Amino acid sequence: MLEGLDSAAAGMAAQQQRLDSIANDLANANTAGYKHGRVGFRDLLYDQSGRSSANGVRTGHGAAAIDAGRSFAQGAMQRTDRPLDVAIQGEGFLAVRLPDGRQGLTRDGGLHVDGLRRIVTNTGNLVQPQITIPKGVGEDDVQIGRDGTVSAAGRRVGKLDVVTVRSPQQLLSVGDNAFVATTASGAPGAAPRSTTLTSGALEMSNVDVAEAMVEMIDSQRAYELQSKAIHTADEMMQTANEVRK
Amino acid sequence: MDRGLYIAASGMLAEQVRQDQIANDLANASTPGYKADRTTQTAFGSMLLASSATGQVVGSQSTAVEVDKVVTDFTPMPARETGEPLDFAIVGEGFFSVQTANGVRYTRDGQFSADAQGRLVTASGDPVLARGGGTIQIGADGAVDPRKLGVVTLANPRKQGDDLVTGTPGGAGPAGSVRSGALEGSGADATRSMVDMIKSQRAFEAGQKVIQTIDETLGKAVTQVGTVTGG
Repeated sequence: MLEGLDSAAAGMAAQQQRLDSIANDLANANTAGYKHGRVGFRDLLYDQSGRSSANGVRTGHGAAAIDAGRSFAQGAMQRTDRPLDVAIQGEGFLAVRLPDGRQGLTRDGGLHVDGLRRIVTNTGNLVQPQITIPKGVGEDDVQIGRDGTVSAAGRRVGKLDVVTVRSPQQLLSVGDNAFVATTASGAPGAAPRSTTLTSGALEMSNVDVAEAMVEMIDSQRAYELQSKAIHTADEMMQTANEVRK
Repeated sequence: MDRGLYIAASGMLAEQVRQDQIANDLANASTPGYKADRTTQTAFGSMLLASSATGQVVGSQSTAVEVDKVVTDFTPMPARETGEPLDFAIVGEGFFSVQTANGVRYTRDGQFSADAQGRLVTASGDPVLARGGGTIQIGADGAVDPRKLGVVTLANPRKQGDDLVTGTPGGAGPAGSVRSGALEGSGADATRSMVDMIKSQRAFEAGQKVIQTIDETLGKAVTQVGTVTGG
């Protein structure tokens, strides 16, 4: 009786997941190369409802949230004039080596030179293939070309690998601005030719704060509506209990 | 007279079904392409009452009420811009076709993505079918021409969950066109659902009052009829 109680609760749980995703987006509104999450919804099973004998009277069991991956829309460019900052324009990721040895993909192009003169990301992951800047060459003397070629004081020392996968939405987010490929996303391959690197700039987060706020309001109101449905179902059960005083 | 007890109880049961349906609508307030339901009630067959002493007809009386149908309102809803290249909305009537493990199903939820083979798939990973059949390959730019997606109208659409619909292709009216970068909003109307919920709850309460009143009357009949003082 009154399965609506559970249907509404399922809807509330789904809205909660959406709110969590929005909160994470807002927290990363200033994270370079961050891609905002997308939460989808689906309805659940429909089956014969209540004690009705009539065929075709079926009610649903609420909603569930689904992970619709990330939005890979281009983030805004911010000029930094630091030669080791690169922004990717178009589809693609920088290939890096994660601390656990896996290949990671990142859009965060804030690069640095570590103590061993190797090029690393903000989080200390080595770019792949490994690029070493010769001793005596300062960060200001490093140039990164549109195709990813890295030159130190005018001499070519390596090339940043820009890769992409068939289904970016299926990439697994592992934190530290990095993704890893899964079987559902396909193995990384070369990015399309249209993808270019811009040195001296960073790609900002693609979170639109205004849009995230609107989503948050929408989510909260839906949550409230569903809690009203629970409240009403509860009151009806009380009414039923009071049939016999 | 005790007939009334059962009539009132049947009304309460019917309101419970309606309440379940409203809760489901509200739970799907954010589901793209969701279609709202409507619960219709009907009277159980009524019967003619006649006086047992004189045989004079008193009138007809309904015996109960029941929910006979849950009707889905498949009216298209306005689309909402998302800017995502693999979000699609149908402007007008019709459904996207999806190849599931159990055969072809239909949906109006156009939140699609790519799979490892570069095909257009639903959130559950089922391939979306093109106009004239076959799967759809995503272009090198990560987008799909919305005209490639097949849109079919259905004769008797019926929701089955997971945003999927079953039905027979070939409904009345022309199929709508597809837009990319947008999702159809949910058909759940918060205001209407709240009003329906209040109406349903009050009808439920009224049913309870009827039962209590009949119970009190029966109580009087049991305890007071036949007492010398007359109560």
